Amino acid sequence: MASVQISEAEKVYIMHGVRDDLRVDGRGCEDYRHMEIETDVVSNTDGSAKVRMGHTDVLVGIKAELRRPRPNVPDEGYLEFFVDCSANATPEFEGRGGEELGVELSNTLYKVFNSHRSLDLRSLCVCPGEHCWVLYVDVLLLQCDGNLFDAMSIAIKAALFNTRIPKVRVLEDEEGGKEIELSDDPYDCLRLRVDNIPCIVTFCVFCLLVHVHQQVGHRHVVDATLQEKACSAASLLVAVTPRGAVTCVRKLGAGSLDPDSIFEMTETGKRVGKALHAPLMELLQKDESLGKKRQKVGFLA
Amino acid sequence: MPVDTKRVRGPEESQSPVLFLPPSTQSPAGRSGQGARGNADIRPVFTRCGLVSQAKGSSYLEAGNTKIICSVYGPREIERKDETDMKSGRLVCDFRLAPFSCRKRGAWIQGSEERDLSLALLESMQPGVCLHRYPRSQIEVNVMVLENDGSILAHAVTCASMALADAGIEMYDLVLGCSLRQDGDACLVDPDVLEEKGSWQSGYEENQGRVTLALLPNLGQVSGLQADGEMREDALPAAVRTCIDGCHKMYPVVQQAILRAVKKKAPPPEK
Repeated sequence: MASVQISEAEKVYIMHGVRDDLRVDGRGCEDYRHMEIETDVVSNTDGSAKVRMGHTDVLVGIKAELRRPRPNVPDEGYLEFFVDCSANATPEFEGRGGEELGVELSNTLYKVFNSHRSLDLRSLCVCPGEHCWVLYVDVLLLQCDGNLFDAMSIAIKAALFNTRIPKVRVLEDEEGGKEIELSDDPYDCLRLRVDNIPCIVTFCVFCLLVHVHQQVGHRHVVDATLQEKACSAASLLVAVTPRGAVTCVRKLGAGSLDPDSIFEMTETGKRVGKALHAPLMELLQKDESLGKKRQKVGFLA
Repeated sequence: MPVDTKRVRGPEESQSPVLFLPPSTQSPAGRSGQGARGNADIRPVFTRCGLVSQAKGSSYLEAGNTKIICSVYGPREIERKDETDMKSGRLVCDFRLAPFSCRKRGAWIQGSEERDLSLALLESMQPGVCLHRYPRSQIEVNVMVLENDGSILAHAVTCASMALADAGIEMYDLVLGCSLRQDGDACLVDPDVLEEKGSWQSGYEENQGRVTLALLPNLGQVSGLQADGEMREDALPAAVRTCIDGCHKMYPVVQQAILRAVKKKAPPPEK
């Protein structure tokens, strides 16, 4: 991850703030930064979204292509994730520097999103065993200021909501060969049901000396900035669906966690995740309903 | 994507014969019945240290049919010097599956899943090793899975910490791993490969999940956790607690193996 040099005094300041539920920018421990989400930013894609959370900027583009389905599940489509840490974000990512981080992020996204219950993969099937829709989800990191997973998951959800897959029909001709016919109307498309797609909530865990007699307590914060991450021992990633079910839990980082704080964080994650989903869906629906009257903001805001 | 150009591979349209097997042979047999282990039982473990003579420390672990070998090299001089390396050492983990280890032949070139497993292994081992005692050096941990019969990450963590102990690397505590598969209402600890995959329709059923946990038993700290799958409300905390119990059950066996290796290397003086 893009690293930040931080002094001991700054570390102590941040940790004391976390202990008193007041972070450096005035947020509480469970508050997110101000988020800006815009969909349909790239016209060449089938679906796209851009999320800006503080200084973290993530752009997701989705393209749908017809491919052969996977041999062991012939009646389902699938998603392919690719995360590109561009040199735009920090000079460390130049050349192959960002590749390791990109691979780590893509692997986690596969685990979180490729579940049967989050997205109905059967709706992506055109002809079982022969043709199915594959959604190539490409994530581009434009700016890095901590909390990449959360921003990426929100952007992916918004992009999937925005995705328009053209409707196809499979016609059989006389010899038994199959032909694929695309409908003439460009607005006749398949929309995906994004009701059950999870969002990721990342917790950063701090080890604090809580009392005078050296008792080490743990506090966790949601949506950590790079400075806060540099002071933390470890992070816990919790993927939560809108109904409050937890689909994926992963521990990241080089520290260790208390089992009790893991349970606590899972509970908090459910709460925070639910509170994140409701306004997001509302916003996306409202944006969609504006149709042509929508004001496009683009990249320079 | 790197492609193996040195070996002659089959034609593009060829499919693995595993796909054509009838589904009955591919679903797990279930754990009821005489002599079969219960849902909460881990498989009997055989483990020894000190088998690779060239390595600083090494260990071999067998659990059911899963066979894992781990070797540790180091502490060694670091090639690239960063500022952070001046204060503490670096741990480098490499997780590999032999091509003949799984049902379907794997490639020799490290795929994304292996990289993911290497990273998970590194994150689980790092809290246990006293890296501040080895500044400017790197310790290499190489894990090779010879046969994959389920729970490879969990057993690899245990195997790696035994190899580190055998190498004499200073650690705060051993790191033990345990994994679990939630299949509907059954909570199967230490699943084998058929139980891990589940039956072909299990993706659509309720309450399906996999949990792998790495624990430092004496300190009671969790150093690695990976849980996938949408499980019920109470199922996830219960699964984590069951994995912690599973790790504690494994501890005496690991202790014995390390003691045995130490006694062999430095036999106690004759009385």
